Amino acid sequence: MAAEQHTRDNGVKRRHRQEGPQKHIMVFVLSAILTLIAFAAVAAGGVNVVFAVILLLIMAVIQVFLQMGYWMHLKDKGHMMPIIFMLGGFLIAGTCIIMALYWVWWD
Amino acid sequence: MTTTHAEPVHGGLPHEPEKATAEGRNKVLAFWLFLGGEAVLFGTLFATFLALRNQTNEGPTANELFHLPLVAAATFFLLVSSLTSVFAIQAMHRNRPALLRNWLLVTVVLGLCFLGLEIYEFSEYVRHEKFGMTTSAFSSAFYTLVGFHGAHVAFGILWISLLIGQLARKGLTVVTAPKIYVSAMYWHFIDVVWVFIFTIVYLLGKVG
Repeated sequence: MAAEQHTRDNGVKRRHRQEGPQKHIMVFVLSAILTLIAFAAVAAGGVNVVFAVILLLIMAVIQVFLQMGYWMHLKDKGHMMPIIFMLGGFLIAGTCIIMALYWVWWD
Repeated sequence: MTTTHAEPVHGGLPHEPEKATAEGRNKVLAFWLFLGGEAVLFGTLFATFLALRNQTNEGPTANELFHLPLVAAATFFLLVSSLTSVFAIQAMHRNRPALLRNWLLVTVVLGLCFLGLEIYEFSEYVRHEKFGMTTSAFSSAFYTLVGFHGAHVAFGILWISLLIGQLARKGLTVVTAPKIYVSAMYWHFIDVVWVFIFTIVYLLGKVG
């Protein structure tokens, strides 16, 4: 609420918190590195399948957390409802995926 | 802290114009609910794909089909476009409409590059690999999941292009800002979905 007041009075008292591009460029570099590791691990070949699956999924999840936290601002204040919406979506999505895998692997 | 910043006095535009009005705040909040629903939609498509990915019906398998350099290039285009849409929103928060427009244009062009690669990829599969929508359960699940994502990219390109036009006509205001903001959220979400697609569909398809 306080933040909204600041934006509404539109005056000199407003405390600017203009974030620079540095953090976002850092997220981009980290995302690119995680992507490169994932592609390189597969392109190199000869990796253990179970190890590769775990490695690739970890790379993907880290990258998604970084991008949703910084680029979509979910780490910022006032994003509790968006986080709840997304967690709700991911919960149902994950349930569907587990259901499908269970159905295929242990029928 | 009464430090007066050396920042230009914005022509009446609030610091975060997308959240300056109740309508803008509601639009952003409701858009997050939509993205939660999109997560469910893609989750069901991923579930279908994971269940059917080995049902190749004597057609091409994932390992035979996919070429990693093409996928890596597409990934690069989409990742950079997500960064440029961050820059667009930062330009919006600094009330610099021309810079905002330019970053949106770069985002659209990169999105078109991604889409072009995907169209090329699909047409190669259909024409040279005999891998069509009805070839196998794997092919149906593949085209549905990846094609649905591609359709989202195409929609995003159209949407952001229209917003660039509206920005030129109406300028950057508390009415246009929320629209641009949610389109950027949509674009980031598309990139997030692509991270899972290149990991689960392409890379794990290569691994086995």
